[in-house]
Amino acid sequence: MWYHKPVVNKELLQSLPNLRIVASSGVGIDHLDLNLLSSFGVKVSNTPFVISTDTADLGMALMLASSRRLVEGYEMAVSPDTEYFPADWLGTQVSGATLGIVGMGTIGYKVAERAKAFEMKILYHNRSQRKKEDESAVGAVYCKKIDDLLQQSDFVLLAVNLNPQTHKLIGKRELELMKPTATLINISRGLVVDQDALVEALQNKVIKAAALDVTYPEPLPRDHPLLKLKNVIITPHIGSATKKTRRIMMEEMIESIQAGLAGLPIPHEVL
Amino acid sequence: LSKKVQAIYLWWHKPVIDRELLQSLPNLKVIANSGAGMDHLDMKLVSSFGVKMANAPCAVSSSTADAGMALLLASARRIVEVHHIAVSSSMDYCEADILGVKVSGATLGIIGMGRIGYKIALRARAFEMKILYHNRTQRKAQEEQAVGATYCEKIDSLLQQADFVMVVVSLTPQTRNLIGKRELELMKPTATLINISRGAVVDQEALVMALQAGVIGAAALDVTYPEPLPRDHPLLKLKNVIITPHLGIKTDKATYMITEEAVENILAVLNGLPMPSEVLPI
Repeated sequence: MWYHKPVVNKELLQSLPNLRIVASSGVGIDHLDLNLLSSFGVKVSNTPFVISTDTADLGMALMLASSRRLVEGYEMAVSPDTEYFPADWLGTQVSGATLGIVGMGTIGYKVAERAKAFEMKILYHNRSQRKKEDESAVGAVYCKKIDDLLQQSDFVLLAVNLNPQTHKLIGKRELELMKPTATLINISRGLVVDQDALVEALQNKVIKAAALDVTYPEPLPRDHPLLKLKNVIITPHIGSATKKTRRIMMEEMIESIQAGLAGLPIPHEVL
Repeated sequence: LSKKVQAIYLWWHKPVIDRELLQSLPNLKVIANSGAGMDHLDMKLVSSFGVKMANAPCAVSSSTADAGMALLLASARRIVEVHHIAVSSSMDYCEADILGVKVSGATLGIIGMGRIGYKIALRARAFEMKILYHNRTQRKAQEEQAVGATYCEKIDSLLQQADFVMVVVSLTPQTRNLIGKRELELMKPTATLINISRGAVVDQEALVMALQAGVIGAAALDVTYPEPLPRDHPLLKLKNVIITPHLGIKTDKATYMITEEAVENILAVLNGLPMPSEVLPI
């Protein structure tokens, strides 16, 4: 299963009596009804760790591209109307700024490791606090209340998985707590953000910019306001989209399928 | 008025410092540059008028290193290309066609390991990149170890091994056209050239040919010669090229720090004190 296709619902499961396993690409399984699958005796696997590094890399890429206005800059550099580069055209500095990571799992932690090298001050919010050694290694400070993180961050990066608690985690209230100079980066799932509230916040300069690898739906309808905002970068869910990683994902999925068909323990089984 | 001018703060190469200007400002004591590069100044000429010069090396290093990494990541993950796909009116693309290159674990070759080059190494290390560097002189062992960088006395060795080649030298007679046909051919056909130094460090025509013929994989250029390029230049049309408008130091914070550094230097000269960042003609 790649990119949530085919849709696994009751009709499909009823029509495939010999289905033993669904191997899903990537780490997210929010598109699968695990209880339903279990009731049909179908096992589920994902590819959890191989995607972490590329996704963390992409989070950093989006933060840098957004803050330094790379897409706008490129358009200026190649536009047929450009005669000179204006002297007062500025971006926002990443080095030394404050990064707030919401969701400090494997991916969130890898982002912290990278951000530390940019001399960023790192805050994080997570269901539970991480071990002291882990925190010290990246200089991350725990914010038990997400509000504290939102109020202090220049960049807010979402790296949670999608579940009932994280659905619309970032809404009007959270956006208003953010600095008006802050940027929201989403590499988790579109539904973690209240998209309509985000559009309003961006239009009214409640926050400065957004960089989104994920939206809801994917892709967005072609007339969606997010596609037209100058201060928004959108990428088509490319978190794990490198040749190397996709190859390994495929290998892992095949491994899981073969194990599932042979009745052996399934690597990366999702229970 | 011209007799009163004692200092010039040079913002983005303006005003142009030529003999005429220098002759018209008899009391000029110092020119403070807004940035690190001094290649736009005829330093010998300025010096011959007894005018001191200063640059702003500290303020620019972090923002330029950030820009270098931004370009590396944007190129590797095809950010500009896929953003345009994501917002275009037709979402007509195939997943397999937009795959990028894995940055973590790849080999970065830094040409020019000065202040900026070293900051790039610090950042790249956090991406678990393997780091090679070429420099006029080798850095101290502890400095190398701190970033896991390996010295390549010969530039050829760096070019042959690197997945990403980042050019971070200052423009001098020795570095003009440093990267030409020969150097591009030594690079891997899958490699990316990133230039955050000066356009003239790269032989631009050779670069165009190398990109068109697939001799190297891609390029990301914050600097070109001239800036901006003529609107019909082939570099503007190549799919595997990202060009940015010399934004290396263009952040709010850097601008502030550059101005601070310039003012420090100007005040030092006017008060007869040692300058924090004086630049002497070579």
